[in-house]
Amino acid sequence: MKQLIIALFVILAAPVLGGFFSGIDRVLTARMQGRVGPPVLQPFYDVFKLLGKEPIAVNQRQVAWALGYLTLIIASLVLFCLGGDLLIIVFVMAFAAVSFILGGFSVKSPYSHIGSQRELLQMLAYEPVLILLAIGVYLQTGSFMVGNLLNQSTPLLVSMPLVLIALMIILTIKMRKSPFDLSTSHHGHQELVKGITTEYSGPYLAIIEITHWYELILLLGLVTMFWLQPVWVGIILAMAAFFIELVIDNICARLTWDWMLKFTWSSGIILCLINLGLIFAHGKGVI
Amino acid sequence: MITGKYLLTISIWLPVLAALLCLLLRNYNARNIVAFLTGIILAACSIAMLYIGPFDYQPEGLLGISWDTIITAADFGLLAFVLYIGLKQRHLLITVLAITQAILLVYFDFTLGGGHVEIKPAFVVDNLSIIMALIINIVGSLICIYGVKYIADHEEHHPLAKSRQPRFMFWLIIFLGAMNGIIFSNNLYWMFFFWEVTTFCSFQLIGHDLTDEAIKNACRALWMNSLGGAAFATALVLLLKYGSDNYLSIRFLLSQAGKPQITDILLLGIGLMVFAGMTKSAQLPFQSWLLGAMVAPTPVSALLHSSTMVKAGVYLILRLAPVYAGTYLSDMVAAAGGFTFLVTSILAISQSNAKRVLAYSTIANLGLIIACAGINTPLAISAAIVLIIFHAVSKGLLFLCTGFVEHNIGSRDIEDMEGLADRMPITTTIYTIGIISMFLPPFGMLIGKWAAIEAAAQLPLVAFMMVIASAVTALFWIKWLGRMFQGVPGAVRKDEPMAVHYKISLGGLAVGAVLLGLFILPLVTNIISPAVQKYYANSGLASASGAIIAGGSGLFVVWPLFALIIVVMVVAGLIYKPDKMRQMPVYMCGENSGGFNSTNYITTSDTSYALSLSNYYFAGLINEVKWNWVVNSLAIMMIIVLLGVTIL
Repeated sequence: MKQLIIALFVILAAPVLGGFFSGIDRVLTARMQGRVGPPVLQPFYDVFKLLGKEPIAVNQRQVAWALGYLTLIIASLVLFCLGGDLLIIVFVMAFAAVSFILGGFSVKSPYSHIGSQRELLQMLAYEPVLILLAIGVYLQTGSFMVGNLLNQSTPLLVSMPLVLIALMIILTIKMRKSPFDLSTSHHGHQELVKGITTEYSGPYLAIIEITHWYELILLLGLVTMFWLQPVWVGIILAMAAFFIELVIDNICARLTWDWMLKFTWSSGIILCLINLGLIFAHGKGVI
Repeated sequence: MITGKYLLTISIWLPVLAALLCLLLRNYNARNIVAFLTGIILAACSIAMLYIGPFDYQPEGLLGISWDTIITAADFGLLAFVLYIGLKQRHLLITVLAITQAILLVYFDFTLGGGHVEIKPAFVVDNLSIIMALIINIVGSLICIYGVKYIADHEEHHPLAKSRQPRFMFWLIIFLGAMNGIIFSNNLYWMFFFWEVTTFCSFQLIGHDLTDEAIKNACRALWMNSLGGAAFATALVLLLKYGSDNYLSIRFLLSQAGKPQITDILLLGIGLMVFAGMTKSAQLPFQSWLLGAMVAPTPVSALLHSSTMVKAGVYLILRLAPVYAGTYLSDMVAAAGGFTFLVTSILAISQSNAKRVLAYSTIANLGLIIACAGINTPLAISAAIVLIIFHAVSKGLLFLCTGFVEHNIGSRDIEDMEGLADRMPITTTIYTIGIISMFLPPFGMLIGKWAAIEAAAQLPLVAFMMVIASAVTALFWIKWLGRMFQGVPGAVRKDEPMAVHYKISLGGLAVGAVLLGLFILPLVTNIISPAVQKYYANSGLASASGAIIAGGSGLFVVWPLFALIIVVMVVAGLIYKPDKMRQMPVYMCGENSGGFNSTNYITTSDTSYALSLSNYYFAGLINEVKWNWVVNSLAIMMIIVLLGVTIL
């Protein structure tokens, strides 16, 4: 019963919070660019307007995959908040990404096709880091359960600082920020239009937007996980990460997918490996 | 136990009898009846075995001659035939390996007296054998039923003067009998015989079409598996010479696990058997025989990849796992398996031929299973068994689907499957079940992979290879799904007339894949856990209220996820109202031309241009030919180390 209440609370509160963050993102980005920017509630206005529009789609499957994307992201967020198995959360997130990608593939549009191919490569870039994060948590705490982290006296950040840096790289990809806003982004691109979401409009685009809000909360939750005792330190950590992402977005140009793969695989994965190696060696009493 | 005795006898002899009937009654209807009846009886036998549980069986001799003598004679007969093939094809390796095996066997049988050693009981059926029996006799039988119809269609496409269908069914069905022999044998010498029979069957089946390529690839399969056979024979010699008669009994070997009696030289014997398993499971550097095997008609690929042949390899490695637990050999097995999993997953990305993608994926998953055997904790062994079961069902289904689609659209290239969801919706649904059950939650393969990664967490290097590989695996499956689900404007739905054979085999495997995923909890509790607990302190996996628990450190919620998927499908159905929703053509950055049912557009030069899309294959980055020698030399080094660590 308690779990059900938590789940319901998460499902209702997360998009409000996510939309709010998205609004802050737009204001801060505008300020960094010397503009005034829209009101903080602008993302909500946008989504409500989209929801009221006439439903237009290219085909049925496109809509079904968008729904799959939404529900699976919600599922992984709920699993996370219930303290579930981190590896499973990562796998369900991957399934959600698969849904999103197939939504892009399901229309014969050059823009959404290339967007999907790039989203696939993005997945290839971030998936190993997320799984390695889960393995790091296991090596440190002896369990894959997020809930178990609440019982730890020393925060994860102390033992896994390098993994957090790797997670920051992943955050850029997942939040679709420069330099990794390859598959789609908050702005239209010349060669890609709106990439993977080009053929979504009206209420279906709103579904995708709301899913991104949920996803943002989940990602910030992963950062919070690094400092859970007391939890406000973790929240500050997540806020700081969010702000850093915005700065990176505004000082970087967009790069190519092969650069992204090389960068995430060389620095992200290596950072994780060094960190895991240190934990492992420490566990074996070598260091 | 009396019933067990009959069940076991039927599962080995019935395929032999049925195969002979197929050969003698040269008639399509007769083959149908034989295949259906054999399938039903074999499946019933395996289910009955599950019901009565583990038992031993010691067969009496035949007409006063002991079985050991008969098997020795059959062994030499088989080797003589292989030698004949080697000479006829002027294939040096086959010839040399056949002679080597013959010398080893002569030494084993006559100098060491191995031919007269009586191992009691000759057959031991335990929970692991029963799981394998269920896979072989249910999945294998479905493939044989599919095969009857497929090979008839196949000959319609490629007419022959004299039908080769009877001989095809002969080898296909007898394969099941040989596999049953392998999994039930307690006597390693007997197992060796059945092992050689499967090698020979696969040679005959791969070369079925008698084209130059088919014969070449069949010969490659034969020499690679003969190398494994020679390793197996060497292992027999070592076990008998440096151990005692008892060491030819798997039960005795397992009882010696972890004791100092397993000396270095005996461990080398075990290592050689693991090596034999790796050749049979097409691990690097022996992947080329399984890749080449796809020249054969599709039911052969389905059989080799899912329920037989390659599964014999992982079965042996898994069977012996308790014996080498805690040794360096075990760590090396884990590393070699992980390496294969990683490399072949990456190579699969660069392939557009559906059968080749499936083949690489099989090799990769077998690598994962072998890595689990090498990790050798209860959780890892449970993961390996889960993977074996689900891989057999899903991979069988995928191959059969590929064959069916190939006969319908005339291609097995993934690029040609564009818009298959519109053209052949029913087949695509079945295909999708197969693909999704290979890599997405909450299906069994992913549960296995999850348990494998959780088990590997203590071995960072293996875990790392698994992590990268599992991310890469998703890439080629999604690309494939993406092609099939691409909406092609104006696509015309084809008729999908399915012969009853196809309905039974495709439908059976698809329903099986879903049901097994849905009921994995009782599967784990009642079938997988007992098989592991027999040789390990606990089973690693347990189930509790809709979820699976891994070794106390992880939790996989199965049923809530299934419920979620069903909810999505229902909601999608409710939301989608074609009459209320306006459908529009896609944005082309230029005027669409050709109307609603086309994706032509007007370019800047004022001409109409047809849009064509295809997947990324990264030809510049991943070059199979260039990679092969590097990968193979690395793999050979690993195998040398693997065998080396046993005697160091």
